[in-house]
Amino acid sequence: MMFRRFILGAVASAPMLAAMAGAAHAQAMSPDAAKSFITQSGDKLVAIVNGPGSQSQKASQLRDLVNQIVDVDQVGDYVLGRYINVATPAQKQQFQSLFHQLLSYNITYQIKAYQGVSFTVNSAAPQGNNVLVDTTVTAPGKAPADVGWVVQDESGQPKIIDVIVAGTSLRITTRNDYAGVITDNGGQVSALLKAMQGQINKIGNQ
Amino acid sequence: MKTSLKRRLTQGLAITLPGLVLAGALTGCATPPPKSDTADYQAYQQLNDPLEPTNRVFFKVNNKLDTYVMKPVAKGYVAITTQGIRNHVGDFASNIGEPARMLNFMAEGHPTDAGSAMVRFLVNSTIGIGGIFDPASAMGYPETDTDFGITLATWGVPPGPYLYLPAFGPSGVRDAMNYPVSWFATPMEAAPASGALTDFGYSETGIHLINTRAAYLQPIDQINATALDPYATFRSLYRQSRASEQKQVEQRDKRTWPNWYHQ
Repeated sequence: MMFRRFILGAVASAPMLAAMAGAAHAQAMSPDAAKSFITQSGDKLVAIVNGPGSQSQKASQLRDLVNQIVDVDQVGDYVLGRYINVATPAQKQQFQSLFHQLLSYNITYQIKAYQGVSFTVNSAAPQGNNVLVDTTVTAPGKAPADVGWVVQDESGQPKIIDVIVAGTSLRITTRNDYAGVITDNGGQVSALLKAMQGQINKIGNQ
Repeated sequence: MKTSLKRRLTQGLAITLPGLVLAGALTGCATPPPKSDTADYQAYQQLNDPLEPTNRVFFKVNNKLDTYVMKPVAKGYVAITTQGIRNHVGDFASNIGEPARMLNFMAEGHPTDAGSAMVRFLVNSTIGIGGIFDPASAMGYPETDTDFGITLATWGVPPGPYLYLPAFGPSGVRDAMNYPVSWFATPMEAAPASGALTDFGYSETGIHLINTRAAYLQPIDQINATALDPYATFRSLYRQSRASEQKQVEQRDKRTWPNWYHQ
């Protein structure tokens, strides 16, 4: 009887152990390391936005930089939220690809508005295993904005997983935005994919 | 004073009544998913937007109003003013709100912040030439925002269902209580009634609305251009920013000395 229980317990907890082993890769990030990572990444970002080159050149440089410093896949999984369990593997793959494209578009959209941008890194505070780095972003003709960057350690590599502006999280907002499309269409993930594709086509036609 | 109150009450009702009547006439409720569908049902509860169909109607109405009236006016306003002027207009409007902030901080149990709001009002109304300048910030009394919605929140009142109000925009059952309160808690209320004062009240409200809309020209354009469901996006942003404001007020320290005084 005892043995049977033990076996059942072991079977039940095996997926959990596997998940924990996976999570072990994500180590606690040191605030100082996160701060210098954000300083370096921010400097690169400002250099691209304010630097020479056409809009399309800047856009492609920004795309490369974002892929280096942001864990886009992880943010995408977070944004899909509970629908990740509903989506088919093909849908998940398509979602990630569309999400990458839309993210680059949303960043490109900002280039013009943030011409002449500068930023200062203020402080860094641990947030669970991650670190929240607080910065002030200033652009001409705009009131200075407090922007927080959530940095995670991924096997020794720091990566941005969220941006907080005036107490609002970008990934939570996007998750709610996308969930709005899915619930409006009877819980169909395909509706979200269609809307994302529609948005990309709309940009292409502009 | 009595007639002034009556007049203000009539004005307040005149502004809110059409909205309320329209809301009552159009009230449509979202159909909740069956309880057996646990994940969907939980998400529905968490969303707390049972009036979503009606809210979406008002969202559309406000967007039309914004596209054809508020946005063009705000753009014109930006074209003829500098950021400096807009900051002064913002300071002026914020100064008129200080007495209400003082009362709310008192009700929230933050006597120091209530005192700061009072000092700010006294200093900015006098040295700051009627609130056009903000010397109080430089003196160690920076602006801290609060309102009656936050006061109710600190008393433990839950946010309640989401509301998208005609003309006013995103709100909630709890936060909507702020509108009648802030309508009455202005310094103009203490002055004797006069036609000039009424005109001042309307102009002040008007210019404040345009100034605020002008400050959000770029972010709102960006959300409308990038969001797949702008209604859901604004709802999310509103809820998050209210929660963050509440947290900030609750985390306020209870210092009784200004910033420049080092102990």
